[in-house]
Amino acid sequence: MLKEADIYRTQGLLSDSKAKYMELLSIIVKSKTLPNQEKLIAGVKSKVRAVEKSLNELRDAPEKPELSEELQGLIKKLFTFSQTKEAAAIEGAVALAKFGQYEQALKEFHKLLEQGVLPVVTAKNMIKCYTALKAPEAAVAQLAKWKTRDFFSTEDLKYIRAFLKTSLEKEGFTTPVPEVEETPASLPSKGRKKKEEEFLEISAISFNLQAGPFTGQTLDFDVHFQSANTVTVLLPSTKKDLADSLVPGTRLNDIQCYSPITVFRSTGTVSGSTKIKQGPRRGDYTLDITLDAD
Amino acid sequence: MAIFNAKDRIIECKLVYYGPGRCGKTTNLEYIFKAFRKQTNSEMVSINTMGDRTLFFDFLPMGLGKIRGCDVKVQLYTVPGQSRYRSTRKMVLKGVDGVVFVADSLEVRRKANLLSLKDLADNLKEEGKSIFNIPLVLQYNKRDLEQQGIPILPLETLEQDLNSKLKVPYHPASALKGEGVGSTLKEALLVTLRHLQKELHWTK
Repeated sequence: MLKEADIYRTQGLLSDSKAKYMELLSIIVKSKTLPNQEKLIAGVKSKVRAVEKSLNELRDAPEKPELSEELQGLIKKLFTFSQTKEAAAIEGAVALAKFGQYEQALKEFHKLLEQGVLPVVTAKNMIKCYTALKAPEAAVAQLAKWKTRDFFSTEDLKYIRAFLKTSLEKEGFTTPVPEVEETPASLPSKGRKKKEEEFLEISAISFNLQAGPFTGQTLDFDVHFQSANTVTVLLPSTKKDLADSLVPGTRLNDIQCYSPITVFRSTGTVSGSTKIKQGPRRGDYTLDITLDAD
Repeated sequence: MAIFNAKDRIIECKLVYYGPGRCGKTTNLEYIFKAFRKQTNSEMVSINTMGDRTLFFDFLPMGLGKIRGCDVKVQLYTVPGQSRYRSTRKMVLKGVDGVVFVADSLEVRRKANLLSLKDLADNLKEEGKSIFNIPLVLQYNKRDLEQQGIPILPLETLEQDLNSKLKVPYHPASALKGEGVGSTLKEALLVTLRHLQKELHWTK
């Protein structure tokens, strides 16, 4: 039994090892004929303490320690699959965050925001990083900074604030998040075209086709990517027939759009259809649907 | 994930070693790195901390040379086994082409094996893949511990627990001694490349 417990310990199976030592201890304690009983009890107890120490050290160790720049670079390289530069840049930073490299991810998101790459998506990811770092004040301060810059419209800021508030509440933080007020600085400049960040983020869409072999069927898709009023959805390679039906130019007269804060109806047109040639989704199809602006 | 460059005739695929914590996934890769020096064209990346536990992943790129006129490259990964690293396992599984599930033969790890296999099935499902369709090989590791008098599960029990529905190839192994490591890898590569042949038609 002792050997078994020792082997579990060397295997790193600390809980199993402790359980076995305890089982052994209980047998030794109950025994009335065992010579050197006291010595044996002391020996096993010492092993239990050592295992407990290792268990505590493991429990207290950081879940995701900060890695070297080289390893962070490798993570970005290995876990970025998108073909477009913007999507790949976001994906790389998201990969860093997913591997717990929040500080570096924040630096990358900051850069992307300065470059104007998908500002709302970037801002949301930054909030996720601050929340994971348990830094609610920093997240709120960041929102305050964004209010003074022209990255976002008032509508976007309100959406980002709502996202921040929900994120903090989910994690049990009670840090107050100031409201977003209408200010001249945050209003879109006169004549400025609607940009990506001025459209609500859409997470899923569903629609019915009015013609072709899929007439009457309700089709549901998660939105994979969004740029302004164009959303990109993915069709698996097994849905070739459907991909063939949704040729560019196809009108969609009733699209249900799901955003994290609301559900609304829209109309739109299939603006692109591509078969993916590389990466993990090779063989699948991407379908771009441009929603009518109003 | 598999990338087939038809012009230069290069195929790249991704194999992931999955399994419960401390089952020997990293030990498998370490042995492969040592035993297949010719095929491993760069260093193995292993990010561990205290107690030799994998916190992120291990990564070992290999070049298998020409197979049927095609240059075959493979990236081997391990996942962290501890239950709290589910999101990391999901990341590592992105774009996976084949899986080696390393089960721990120790009796005390029976439940951990089952939970890990279920976790694999769930994570594959979220990737749009099915555990029943993906190229998969099981490895029953730590068989050598029986010689030291440590209670291990009979192969029949492991088969019943883990493979009664999957019915995939399995290999008894002792990764620490290198036994069964090469045969597991070879079989995993075989089933993966066969599967990719159906999808990508990479051989002439």
